[in-house]
Amino acid sequence: MRICSLAELARGEALRFDGVSPPIAVFHTEDGQVFAIDDTCTHQDASLADGWVEGCEVECPLHASRFDLRTGAVDAPPAKRGVRSHSVTLQDGEIHVTLSEDVPALPPGVSY
Amino acid sequence: MIIEQLESPLPGSLLRTLPGSAYTDPEVFAQEQEKIFEQMWFCAVRSSDVAKPGAFKTIQVGREAIIVSRNRKGEARAFFNVCRHRGMQVCQGENAEGQRTFQCGYHAWTYDLDGKLIAAPNLTKMPDIDRDDYGLRQVAVREWLGYVWVCVAENPPSFEDTVLTEVVDRLGTVSNLDHYAVDTLAVGKRIVYDVKSNWKLIVENFMECYHCATIHPELTEVLPEFADGLAAQVFVNHGAAFGEDIKGFTVDGSEGFDLLPGVTADQARKYYAITIKPQVFINMVPDHIIFHRMYPISADRTIVECDWLYAPSVVESGADLTASVELFHRVNSQDFEACEQTQPSMSSRLYRDGGVLVPAEHHISGFHEWHQSMLAK
Repeated sequence: MRICSLAELARGEALRFDGVSPPIAVFHTEDGQVFAIDDTCTHQDASLADGWVEGCEVECPLHASRFDLRTGAVDAPPAKRGVRSHSVTLQDGEIHVTLSEDVPALPPGVSY
Repeated sequence: MIIEQLESPLPGSLLRTLPGSAYTDPEVFAQEQEKIFEQMWFCAVRSSDVAKPGAFKTIQVGREAIIVSRNRKGEARAFFNVCRHRGMQVCQGENAEGQRTFQCGYHAWTYDLDGKLIAAPNLTKMPDIDRDDYGLRQVAVREWLGYVWVCVAENPPSFEDTVLTEVVDRLGTVSNLDHYAVDTLAVGKRIVYDVKSNWKLIVENFMECYHCATIHPELTEVLPEFADGLAAQVFVNHGAAFGEDIKGFTVDGSEGFDLLPGVTADQARKYYAITIKPQVFINMVPDHIIFHRMYPISADRTIVECDWLYAPSVVESGADLTASVELFHRVNSQDFEACEQTQPSMSSRLYRDGGVLVPAEHHISGFHEWHQSMLAK
């Protein structure tokens, strides 16, 4: 699944892609790596694409749980469950994502 | 209501001041907040006090609570400290560092360092909320002289036509101030004075030197011409010369520090002063700058924050600044004590129509006319 061209996503930036359900977040880190995880924090409905990225982690903008961009694992409450991570490939300068087939972990009351 | 008296000057040497009520009436103070402090450029914080991305300081400008901060790119920013959701003050406390966002403590509406609304519980379910429209409301900012200046007015006046013009009126050109490279200096000492007096008494005090020989013995020793009562602020680009046996601008006339690099030969042994209305005083001497910011709190209380600014090498060296700082700290203490001892009389029946200005103080009536014109707007 094509997301966008790499040139459209500057280093340090992230985007929320809602062409899939649940939406995913794609990150281009400062050191040039590209990752994709589910966009919705597992604690409360917040977009991780709006979070603060440092190294290979994104901090949820609402309550500061951190998710590993490589694995989706969460470091500390209030979020208790990780998000899914999706595999990313770059082809001719285009970002492509293959969605995980795991069941997404969504916060209470959120469904897609 | 205030200054009919100005239109009928006393015969001879004397001009009227503002009436006593201008210094005591909460209604006048409220008008000043609205028509002066919320309309003009206001010198808010030293840039180094919000040095890094995510640092902030909260201040009061007129009636408004303001956040002064730095974004991820290191640019100064200022915002109304009002959550766009239900209004709670977003930033609590006087200052902090290393913020990644500004998050309201009530419902967790979360703004990035440029003020944009980036998160809130269930925000993704409300796609019609424009994240810029509901971002923290920005306040105009300008960094100059190593300070962040803000203007909370809806249509800020030109910085050049207001702030810089005050410098030109006093010094002839802005370059006469640029020589001191104030933005490159480091804060060697800061003293915060809580003055129980109206802010205008402090401005008037700073503008004249008729009092100098009486209450500032140390300053008059260093700057003998102050004994004649004429302030450095009466003329254009007039520096008050150091006395012959004075080695530096210190409490005992002892040696100061090396001249600031850009200071000219003409500025090398002189003191200059500028008032930038409504709340800044800048004192320039060859080896440092004394920079006052006033924060009016009420009709009878003003916080004055005074920075002594030196070449960074002087501050880094750990040099003893005591004799240097002590001179103007004494001047400040002497001045603010005089203002505090004047304030109670402002509500006296004897001062209902105000006091008088002698010729050495006549230029203060220009300040009064400015005050009257601002309140009449």
